[in-house]
Amino acid sequence: MSNTFLELEELALVEKPEKKKPLGPLFWICVGWIVLNIFGAIFANVLPLQNPLFQDYGTINAGPSLHHLFGTDDIGRDIFSRIVFGSRVSITVGFGSMVIGFGIGAPLGMLAAFRRGRFDTIVTTFMYILLAFPAIIATIAVLSFWTPRSVFKIILVIGLASVPLVYRVIRTATLSVATKDYVVAAKVQGATDRRILMKELLPNIAPIGISFLLIGVATVIALEGTLAFLGLSVVVPTPSWGNMINESRTVLQQNPWLAIFPSLALCFFLLSLNFIGDRLRSHFDVTEVKL
Amino acid sequence: MSVTPEKLLVVNDLSTTFATAGGPLPAVANVSFDLTRNETIGIVGESGSGKTVLSRTIMGLQPRTNVAVTGSVLLNGNEMVGTAESVKRGLWGTEVAMVFQDPMTSLNPVMRIGKQIDETLRVRLGMSKQDAKARAIELLELVGIPSPSQRYDAFPGQLSGGMRQRVVIAIALACSPKLLMADEPTTGLDVTIQAQILNLLDELKERLHMSVVLVTHDLGVVATRTSRIVVMYAGRIVEIGSTRDVFANHRMPYTRALLESSPKVSNASHTRLITIPGRPPNLLKLTQGCSFAPRCAYASDKCHQERPELQGADQPGHSFACWNPLPTTRGDSAS
Amino acid sequence: MTDTTQPLLKVRDLKVIFGKGHHAVSAVAGVSFDIFEGETLGLVGESGCGKSTTGKALMRIVEPSSGSIELDGTDLAELKKGGRQLRNIRTRMQMIFQDPISSLNPRRRVKDIVAEPLDCWKTVSGHERDVLVSDLLSKVGIDPAVYGNRYARQFSGGQCQRISIARSLAMRPKLLICDEMVSALDVSVQAQILNLLEDLKAEYGLTLLFIAHDLAVVKNVSDRVAVMYLGKICEIGPADALYEAPAHPYTKFLLGAALEADPDSPIHSQVLEGEPPSPMNPPSGCRFRTRCPKATELCASEEPMSQEVAPGHQVACHFPLSITRK
Repeated sequence: MSNTFLELEELALVEKPEKKKPLGPLFWICVGWIVLNIFGAIFANVLPLQNPLFQDYGTINAGPSLHHLFGTDDIGRDIFSRIVFGSRVSITVGFGSMVIGFGIGAPLGMLAAFRRGRFDTIVTTFMYILLAFPAIIATIAVLSFWTPRSVFKIILVIGLASVPLVYRVIRTATLSVATKDYVVAAKVQGATDRRILMKELLPNIAPIGISFLLIGVATVIALEGTLAFLGLSVVVPTPSWGNMINESRTVLQQNPWLAIFPSLALCFFLLSLNFIGDRLRSHFDVTEVKL
Repeated sequence: MSVTPEKLLVVNDLSTTFATAGGPLPAVANVSFDLTRNETIGIVGESGSGKTVLSRTIMGLQPRTNVAVTGSVLLNGNEMVGTAESVKRGLWGTEVAMVFQDPMTSLNPVMRIGKQIDETLRVRLGMSKQDAKARAIELLELVGIPSPSQRYDAFPGQLSGGMRQRVVIAIALACSPKLLMADEPTTGLDVTIQAQILNLLDELKERLHMSVVLVTHDLGVVATRTSRIVVMYAGRIVEIGSTRDVFANHRMPYTRALLESSPKVSNASHTRLITIPGRPPNLLKLTQGCSFAPRCAYASDKCHQERPELQGADQPGHSFACWNPLPTTRGDSAS
Repeated sequence: MTDTTQPLLKVRDLKVIFGKGHHAVSAVAGVSFDIFEGETLGLVGESGCGKSTTGKALMRIVEPSSGSIELDGTDLAELKKGGRQLRNIRTRMQMIFQDPISSLNPRRRVKDIVAEPLDCWKTVSGHERDVLVSDLLSKVGIDPAVYGNRYARQFSGGQCQRISIARSLAMRPKLLICDEMVSALDVSVQAQILNLLEDLKAEYGLTLLFIAHDLAVVKNVSDRVAVMYLGKICEIGPADALYEAPAHPYTKFLLGAALEADPDSPIHSQVLEGEPPSPMNPPSGCRFRTRCPKATELCASEEPMSQEVAPGHQVACHFPLSITRK
């Protein structure tokens, strides 16, 4: 028996709201946090921060204090300053590789779903073969051999590895839109394929794309952390959240702050990204019943 | 039951209000009617009229939250409003059963149709496996499914829309209910299949001595199949009476508008339809007056200020809710 | 309609076959008809009879497998798929779809939706475009000043269908194909849309192909009606004559099953038994013979050709019913 009351025609009659429910304060707090982090990453050089590489042997493994907000590490470097500078690597890798992933995967996915036919078959088969590869192991393998590692190389490898995933998400999203009557209608009115892709498909796929992008960024930042933990990220002493956590391993007993603060930074950043992505998706979902 | 009540179904001052983000939504408001045994009543209305919510409220099928039901539904002497689900479960199937609009969603697509009927029989009537199967095949035959013993093993997806609706009816009839609620049972089916299903419902009603509530938007469906009709608008009954009275001597302008705006096969081609402007009101923004007043050609100031209650017409059992009813004499609607 | 008039649309032996080999389904199995300028041809039939596929094949939304579709002398079936010529000719014929909500992009503003054909073809721009769009919206009963900037998702089914009509008229097409355009609407809204369609037809000099399953709706708008069964037209004729005295047994059953909103109308105890056979495996000879009470061996062995039983009234049946008026 179908007893989903929400489907009732009667309720559908409620005039569709012109103004949507606001995104809520938590959403804006998360946005604020991300903006603050990005701001810090961009202006780390000009902000009144201590040199992240300066080793002050006078104060090693110090707890949080006024002078060292988050304390110092085992060779006396300021943890706060290292976290701010470390965000540069994490954020650049996160967004950079997603730019590559979406730059290649999204147009291919849209085209394949829109054109169908042989183009779709070939590209989709190819992407599925790539997906069958364990991407993390492949990434690790490539990064182990392709030395010296740099941010650019990491971005390139992770970005390319994410292409099949992005492709699959965008292709599925496009498929559900491309079969709608308004796409047929546009075709019948004489719209060119390019126009249909830009005017009819893109605006309807963009919300899904953006939320997947943010969640993708979060995943990649976590992945960078994993790579750094394995010693496969940027070369030390350049800080990144991941390699800071990695370095803390050996001194966990003496100085837990060294592990806690970068972990918190990573955690809050990812949490905010995921929350924003999820909230945006439901906010822009025109089909979702709002009761 | 010691005394069998004369009326099978008595609905009294029934209201169903949903709590929504936009405020309370009165989907059904102050509805009263009754149904005798072996009678077919039609509930007619457009989308938003509350007909579907009404039928589900009578069944006692409400979501658990965000809904308030007041009034009373006496089903063969059993109160359905405010009754615990466990009690209602005992009544579903034996006292009342429902046929939904979309047979594809009311059947489990991955379960053989025979099993879906069996299950009810075994759980509700405690039949043995063999008896249940025999009875299920009997039921499939009853609803006119050809070669029922073979179809017993079919999946819903292997049947056509009309056949699926027959299966849904067979499931509804499994425990010999006294009342069958049919919510748009033929919407979405082809005309020839529609005629088959309606004939089947008629025939079954006589054979099994049931009462039927036929909920539909299609006046054609109720015209020849019901003894009485309830016309709903914006959650309220605006006219109720014998089918003949409602069709021929309707007093409520909305009933007339509904009748005149539906195209007829007997019309000459290019017959101009008489229409009413606008569309049904937003139930969240109902005014204090008659809900139909904004679309009504006869609306006076009073209609906008004060809501008309149902009042009796000339014929017994015929009532309408209107301050400026149409004259009783026929003929003016021929214009 | 005299024989001297050239039809606006001339369809000959149109076939649409989906799939290949054993799974091939001929959704449209050889359909021929003419539509003359200024008339409305109704196309009725039950689900799966191929009426919607016929409409879509005319627009080349689905590809016809064979046959010709001549609009004003140009054969659409010959034009290159996706070519400029095909795009061009589509401005002269437009289509309105069944699902009003899904026909409009929920993320675009109403005035942009209506202007879409104009923007595609860049026939007008700037102020002129805005005036034209406002005019179209007013014509279909939607106040451009109030609603023009709203998104399509904020409208009800009836309003969406009005917007669809406005959009389809933007390029001033000659032929409008309406595919079940009112079947998703409430009765009172349906009547509004049908009246609107009749008004616009007169104003814009449109020719209509009106596809629907509802016999009453089709009769109310059509000059001539074609009845389809399992991919073929079984009867075509003037609306009033065909409804009053159907010559094909199927048409008779179909009309008998139609429900009239009139308690005095007789219940036809003689309803059509069974269901249409699968188009994957159509019966030999006459496609209706498996359900036809009058079927003989001839019906099984030989496919009936279309024959004229009255002027402009053709039927594909070996034993047409007498059409002498009651």
